[in-house]
Amino acid sequence: MMEEAIATYREEAGELLAELETSLLDLEETPDDNDLINRVFRAMHTIKGSGAMFGFDEIASFTHEVETVFDMVRNGKMTVTKRLLDLTLKSRDHISYLLSCPMGEEVDRSVGDEIIAGLRQLVPQQDTPQKGSNEVPALHLPPVSEDELANECTWRIRFRPAPNVLMCGTNPISLINELRGLGTAHVVAQFDEIPQLDALVAENCYIYWDIILTTTRGEDAIKDVFIFVEDDCDIRIELIDSSGLIDKEDGYKKLGDILVERGDLSPIEMQKVLMLQKRFGELLVEQGIVSPEKVQSALVEQQHVKSVRKERSEAPPQEAAASIRVPAERLDQLINLVGEMVTVQAHLSQVSQAGGDATFIAISEEVERLTNELRDTALNIRMLPIGSTFSKFKRLVRDLSSELGKEIEMETFGAETELDKTVIEKLNDPLVHIIRNCIDHGIEMPEVRKAAGKASHGTVSLGAEHSGDSVLVTIRDDGGGLDRDRIRAKAIERGLLSATAEVPDKEIYAQIFAPGFSTAEKVTSVSGRGVGMDVVKRGIDSLRGSIGVDSVRGTGTTITLKIPLTLAIIDSLLVKIGKDHFVLPLASVEECVELTREDIRGAHGRNLANVRGAIIPYIPLREHFKITDQRPDIEQIVIADIHGTKVGFVVDHVVGEHQTVIKSLGKMYRDVKGVSGATILGDGTVALILDMGVLLQSIEKLEHIGG
Amino acid sequence: MPLNSSVRENGDIIVTSGTSLTIEHAAEFSRILREALEASGTVMLEFEPEVEIDITGVQVLCSACKNAAESGKVFSYHGPRPQAMTDIITSSGAERNSVCKHNNNSTCIWFGGVN
Repeated sequence: MMEEAIATYREEAGELLAELETSLLDLEETPDDNDLINRVFRAMHTIKGSGAMFGFDEIASFTHEVETVFDMVRNGKMTVTKRLLDLTLKSRDHISYLLSCPMGEEVDRSVGDEIIAGLRQLVPQQDTPQKGSNEVPALHLPPVSEDELANECTWRIRFRPAPNVLMCGTNPISLINELRGLGTAHVVAQFDEIPQLDALVAENCYIYWDIILTTTRGEDAIKDVFIFVEDDCDIRIELIDSSGLIDKEDGYKKLGDILVERGDLSPIEMQKVLMLQKRFGELLVEQGIVSPEKVQSALVEQQHVKSVRKERSEAPPQEAAASIRVPAERLDQLINLVGEMVTVQAHLSQVSQAGGDATFIAISEEVERLTNELRDTALNIRMLPIGSTFSKFKRLVRDLSSELGKEIEMETFGAETELDKTVIEKLNDPLVHIIRNCIDHGIEMPEVRKAAGKASHGTVSLGAEHSGDSVLVTIRDDGGGLDRDRIRAKAIERGLLSATAEVPDKEIYAQIFAPGFSTAEKVTSVSGRGVGMDVVKRGIDSLRGSIGVDSVRGTGTTITLKIPLTLAIIDSLLVKIGKDHFVLPLASVEECVELTREDIRGAHGRNLANVRGAIIPYIPLREHFKITDQRPDIEQIVIADIHGTKVGFVVDHVVGEHQTVIKSLGKMYRDVKGVSGATILGDGTVALILDMGVLLQSIEKLEHIGG
Repeated sequence: MPLNSSVRENGDIIVTSGTSLTIEHAAEFSRILREALEASGTVMLEFEPEVEIDITGVQVLCSACKNAAESGKVFSYHGPRPQAMTDIITSSGAERNSVCKHNNNSTCIWFGGVN
């Protein structure tokens, strides 16, 4: 159980750190935004509190320091400065490092110590917490969240101040009032240590306090109250009741109450009998075992907990949780099972159609409908807003631009656009490389920009939007743009393009994604080795996505990534060539037309078809895949729209629409071009999923190189 | 009336609180009560309505009460209880609804509930 709780903590802390980073970066733009300041404080507070609860003491103590500084910011004692944000962002990274360290192992504290030292330098001198300080700064804690409400606990606190506490200027009642501010408190001052006048040092404090406190804030919040006196005082904090952690006593009615309720005993009779017996506390006092004050204090505790429990039991039941946390592996497993089911359902449909039994067909169709719904629901569960990754890039832009001495702002849009969880994860690396390139090669130095009549600060824009069953992720910079001629020359030099071929700009720009391609004169720590963009290409290919580049010299570059919504199951068109089945993603398919032998003859050996007056090039897949079966007299052209280009794929037969559960090909087939995966058909045979974009490119390349 | 004591004809001692029973005057307050309880069988405290009281004042009262109880003397107060006394009892959790063993198991007249 504890391991699970720790894993949950790590996961939640990770999310909080992401939120923290976003808030800090936003705070940089609007340093006076109190909501953001509170959000930062609350994230720190939760990381600290939960960290201490699960034994992450290093995180708790480190975060406490940062939280203290942000508490001062909240209270207007400090302002948000770039240095503070730098240090807090570093703190976020350090907490992330501490989270990644195995529990119980020694951690590197040097970075943390440096950050703490830096933060302490920022604290105004009079507010630097000092031991023995006369004034205890008031703690203002954040509003209670719903989660915290579920963690209401009752604590027994014994606070025995040092005798000289009053002489030091600390007023214990202020501390007690702070405790009262944390929740519901019952306070009992204990007088038994006050000596008679002969022995009394009037300025000393002899009173100590028993406090019963019900709060949602947790032990750390209580400790925080005493933080400046803890070394000089005796403070004991014990958990005595909680909404979930400690077994409750049964709390059932007493015998007398039951008898009264049943009408077997009148309330007056019960009181009379009760008067005859002495209470336990009275007996203890009578025997001289416990002082009346101690008994009173214990009774206060009893009453306090009873009333808290009563309130809790009378409280209306909380609404069912709006969301639950499920491990990602379980979702993957669900998707796999749904995939299997889709395959079986395809088989069922095939068998039912072949059998011709109307009832069987009806049942099969109903199963098909349910399977489709199940598939959509299961896939939707894995959808996440892409914005969760955007904050990382904001940080990347901030850090890199500062490293390179450039002034760059980052804009984002469409953060709410949802994509499959796996797709988002795989998108990370390509985006990192693209944005690094934008910063390093795209955006010019401030003086260059000024000389070109531009604003000194550049802008990198990252956004996402839906487009059919895909998402378009756009990365745009207002830098110098790509140098078409240099890219072309380099591509020709490397044999990627023919020196004589007339190639559209888009295709020239696409050369930047070739392995090892770089026009950079020098290699920087950021980019220039010609490695990054190749990684982008491979990353996007593995997502079955495509990349488009558009650039205007002097104005900027736009890179558009078209990414399918999911990697698990797609709607597709099932086709047949010879005995083999192939699958074409339906999203790009526009129509199917016949291709007769006469049509072929009429084109004089060129792979062009006349479709309602429009000349459309086609790729004969039979030849491409070297299938030697008998060619049918009438073939089919599946016309698809690939990045705005209409192109046909010639197949023998079009079988129909098909739900394709994508299975990845093994490592051996990693370099096979034009095939992005495979699927299992209803009858158990395997069909290859065609990557139409890559097929088109490979044909185009052959033509260009061929001149 | 400043913090002081005076002896009545019947031998009772009246102690006047003055306007401050706080840490600055705690030692003096303690001394006056100690001497009063040594000198008389009944010591009565008269509060100034606007008197300030802090924890040290509360402690001196409790300490003097223990002295009186042990020696069988009377230590009480005249007139209305000042607001400051009510406040300090409430804020410090000094309210007593039980008997006091140092006061012959009698109800505490000083902190026995705030009404």
